[in-house]
Amino acid sequence: MNKIKAFSTRNRKEILRDPLSYIFCLAFPLVMLIIMTVVNSSIPKQAGMTVFRIDNLSAGIAVFGQTFVMLFTALTVTKDRSGSFLVRMYATPMKSTDFTIGYILPMIIISFFQSVIIYIASFIISIITDVDLNIGGMILSIITLIPSAIMFICFGLLFGTLFNEKSAPGLCSIIISLSSFLGCIFFDADATGGAMLKICKALPFYYCTKSARSCVKLDFSSSTFIVPFIIVIACAVILGILSSTVFKSKMKADLS
Amino acid sequence: MNAIETKDLTKKYKTKTAVDALNLTVNEGELFSLLGVNGAGKTTTIRMLSCLSTPTSGEAYVNGKSCKDEKDEIKKIIGISPQDTAVADNLTVRENLDFMASVYYTDKAVINEKVEDIIRIFNLSEVENQKAKTLSGGWKRKLSIAMALISEPKVLFLDEPTLGLDVLARRELWHAIESLKGKMTIILTTHYMEEAEHLSDRIAIMISGKIKACGTVADLEELSGKKGLEEAFVAIAERGMSEDE
Repeated sequence: MNKIKAFSTRNRKEILRDPLSYIFCLAFPLVMLIIMTVVNSSIPKQAGMTVFRIDNLSAGIAVFGQTFVMLFTALTVTKDRSGSFLVRMYATPMKSTDFTIGYILPMIIISFFQSVIIYIASFIISIITDVDLNIGGMILSIITLIPSAIMFICFGLLFGTLFNEKSAPGLCSIIISLSSFLGCIFFDADATGGAMLKICKALPFYYCTKSARSCVKLDFSSSTFIVPFIIVIACAVILGILSSTVFKSKMKADLS
Repeated sequence: MNAIETKDLTKKYKTKTAVDALNLTVNEGELFSLLGVNGAGKTTTIRMLSCLSTPTSGEAYVNGKSCKDEKDEIKKIIGISPQDTAVADNLTVRENLDFMASVYYTDKAVINEKVEDIIRIFNLSEVENQKAKTLSGGWKRKLSIAMALISEPKVLFLDEPTLGLDVLARRELWHAIESLKGKMTIILTTHYMEEAEHLSDRIAIMISGKIKACGTVADLEELSGKKGLEEAFVAIAERGMSEDE
């Protein structure tokens, strides 16, 4: 346990002391939150488009922010692998599970506080724009965003383990773009329907946004929250197992 | 008990044999250098002895424990300072040491004591609150070795510890390494003759994955019939390479 704690603390400090992590994980999502609120104010009410209204937007931006946590997870792992740092650590009594939990744990904490900040900003915007935003719903949403955070972090761990410093961020960019669009953060697939909705539903990102959004509105019905939330938990578990297994086998290969 | 013992230790990568049937014995408390040109198999040997690479064949023992079957036990008693300075860039010197100590110890008081001790021994106090990424090459190497020593290992592996350092930083690091002599077994790889001569109790000359000669500087001079380690090394290396051809 002390090994996991030590490695987690090291990873947390490494990321929190990198100014870029604040720009990508915090500043950029907050800027998007403001920009999309401005866009929302420019959309005529008759259009009936509510995807950028703060009660819908806040959860979407929280998920959007998590995709950058994925990017920084991948960057941390690839950086450790490209230098001799992991080689040194492999020669210590640390096991592969110590490494994987040590990478995932601080990212969950970072992601948690990121969601808190995004929801605080959203609440301020809701007061300014006179939109009703439920505090209890936001608190519950922050908690239900944890499986989604784990899923994205495990994506980062997987890419960081399998690819190098150049290709891993590229792959993360693809996931960021896919989740932004097909995760219905900046696009209302439910209103569009058809093939587009089918594609969105085939990917896990849609369910992350859907469950978080429903939670903010205290809508816990089966189709809008329970089923999407179970899908997100299942994806988080699958990716958690997959990324840990891949890290373990890569570590074994590095030591062969 | 020997600190290191290898029996026909071999490492092959597809068609290349990096280490070829290495037979080596290092006494407890000895500072033993593996001297050779680039690609001689020095780092591969250290990787196998520190359980970072699995031998293709042969046996290796560290303090009587098998590198194949008792890896976890070996990892508790060794320290390694890799060729590249493996430090956490955004952590301060003190935090880097604290991190490594926390991997081995649970008691916070013990961890603090170990960190204080190593800062004092390696004169790191003037940079203890500086982030590792802002340190000069010499300080980084010092920190890297200090991190390897925090667990008080019985066997310390130093892979080219002074590579790329200026002459003053190298001399300072030599003093630090010299201060450890006798307290633990140290296996050092280098291709600097003066470094091997200055620091080592015994030197093994590695050429193409094989040990061509092993002994004190005087032994190597006698074996080669040349004066000075550099001349002895060149003579032994040339002879070894012609034998391989």
